Amino acid sequence: MSQNRREFLKTIAAIGASTAAISSVTPKKTIAKTEPFLSEDRKGVLVDTTVCIGCRKCEWACKGAHGFEQGDFENYQNDEILNVQRRPSTNNLTVVNKYIDEGTRTVKMQCMHCEHPACVSACIVGAISKKENGSVVWDTDMCIGCRYCMVACPFQIPAFEYYKALDPKIVKCDFCIERTSEGKLPACVNICPVEALTYGTRNELIDEAKRRIKNHPDKYFDHVFGEYEVGGTSWLYLADKNLAGNVFPKLGNNTAPGVSESIQHGIFAYFVPPIAVYALLGGIMWLTKEKETKKENK
Amino acid sequence: MRIQYIFSLIFFAFISVSYGQIENLKTHTQMNLDCKKCHICDTPTKANPCLILCPRNKLKVVRHLPEEGPENLTIDKISSDEDLYGPVNFTHKLHSEMSLMSGGCSICHHFNPPGKIVKCSHCHETARDRKDKTKPDLKAAFHRQCMDCHKSWEEKTECESCHSLNSKKIESTVKIKAEKVHPEVKIPQRVIYETDYDEGSVVTYFHNDHSSLFNLECSDCHDQESCANCHAEIRLESIKADPHERCSTCHDTENNCNKCHKSEIARPFDHKIKTGFDIATYHSDLSCAECHKTQNKFSGLKPDCVVCHSTSDGYFNHSITGIKLDETHVEFYCENCHQDKDYSRKPICNECHDDDISFPTSIPGERIK
Repeated sequence: MSQNRREFLKTIAAIGASTAAISSVTPKKTIAKTEPFLSEDRKGVLVDTTVCIGCRKCEWACKGAHGFEQGDFENYQNDEILNVQRRPSTNNLTVVNKYIDEGTRTVKMQCMHCEHPACVSACIVGAISKKENGSVVWDTDMCIGCRYCMVACPFQIPAFEYYKALDPKIVKCDFCIERTSEGKLPACVNICPVEALTYGTRNELIDEAKRRIKNHPDKYFDHVFGEYEVGGTSWLYLADKNLAGNVFPKLGNNTAPGVSESIQHGIFAYFVPPIAVYALLGGIMWLTKEKETKKENK
Repeated sequence: MRIQYIFSLIFFAFISVSYGQIENLKTHTQMNLDCKKCHICDTPTKANPCLILCPRNKLKVVRHLPEEGPENLTIDKISSDEDLYGPVNFTHKLHSEMSLMSGGCSICHHFNPPGKIVKCSHCHETARDRKDKTKPDLKAAFHRQCMDCHKSWEEKTECESCHSLNSKKIESTVKIKAEKVHPEVKIPQRVIYETDYDEGSVVTYFHNDHSSLFNLECSDCHDQESCANCHAEIRLESIKADPHERCSTCHDTENNCNKCHKSEIARPFDHKIKTGFDIATYHSDLSCAECHKTQNKFSGLKPDCVVCHSTSDGYFNHSITGIKLDETHVEFYCENCHQDKDYSRKPICNECHDDDISFPTSIPGERIK
């Protein structure tokens, strides 16, 4: 019996050593995981909250594009709902909320499609992925409903089908990936009557946002929300006031998965810490075993 | 046959393009404009006009009266049957009349080079998915233009207040009214402001003096008005950050506090009381600027007739009174005929002439008025 355990430990050590050898020659991928895949032309949306009129047509169009029950679009004109702070839900992937703070502004909210998504990092089955065009999408079949992404998301966007008893999944904005792959605009961008939403490459949108701020310094708060927040987001926001700490949480410019990944990956870096732990344990066992055999022999 | 046809087409196209260029050049040169105001390059062509990027608010030359524009317009350039809403009937004349109190035509026609009225679609593309993201597409341009005022005015975003519903197949709910609906604005005579300035709390503003006596246009002061300024529940005017703002365009509000701030209600402007020069007799028809040539500077003119009415050799130009003096009389001093330089009294002739010659039976020259 003791012999077997020893053999087992030996095998583990051998595997560990070989893995360490392999991992030391393979390039290390940690925080910048998504970067090599992101296209220079990756898309984004510039949300100009100063022109948004809060008509909620984006909500209506979004539901239609994703096959949800839309309801009568005339009912969307009831702006009393704007007074309630809503979050994106499983059948409403985007919501428009009203914020009153030295003036009123309506702000559309949906998945920000982070440049370095925390949800991708947190997903234990690798169901969520950042696509080359900038969108963060997920594979429903792979999703096991662990809800780690909900915890990880700095904007608290992913919604969960709590009402389903069997096989509930995560749902969020998919940047209308089906529509965009057909060359169409995202449904919300397409319907917006005032073009508060501008679709384009992220780089050109940042330039455009800065041009607007420069041309109308009295109209805009001098900050493009999403340019640097949590390492940058595909959706960028312009407003007359600082949105951070009011509409959005105050977030640093470090990537959201940066901290967690550095800890997680650090534990297993080159497989050295696990081997060291096993070696230590093995050593202790070896020493204690030697003593025990000596005792037995006596 | 086909070649001939193509040739004639090309020829026609060439003619029309060059003719268009000549026409444009003609109107441009007539207007004596600075080319660089609109064009970046030295030699703009029809094919490459190298225009500067959207010169919003920099090129506004719409000078029309509301009556000269169209009465009503149907905005259907971007409408399709798939749309939720139908086209909009826009009461153009009504809106242009309302605009007179704020920025005039150029609030909406914010870019218009000299010449014809430029259509919105001239700059704003119809496609949303486009290369140039610097200006909104046509649909957004229309909506933003309307919503800018309608939102501040009503705080409502109901689409049906302008659009009809395509699904219900009903006619537009907007009734087009041809005549002016806004009642005539009553011009106030005198407005008294109570201020918290210790040395003189009362500011009397004579609105009629400014609007009629000083020949100011409404829009000289009311250039930033909107419907909401008068019709909102809280008048925006009363919460203006600096109440001096409106006065300081003409008056020096930094230094001359006591010119407006008095301890009691001031009297209306009277040129005689204020300056000692009575303008009521001969100068009542003139606007201020006809005498006070330096803008906003109303001092420095002496009450001598010669200051304004002089001949080339520096003497009083008597013709201005309606009587051109003859060669003999033009040599005299004023007081030879006008005793004690009192020009309101009848001039005397019997210093030189017999009693049978007197004014106005006899005239020392010829009457020209």
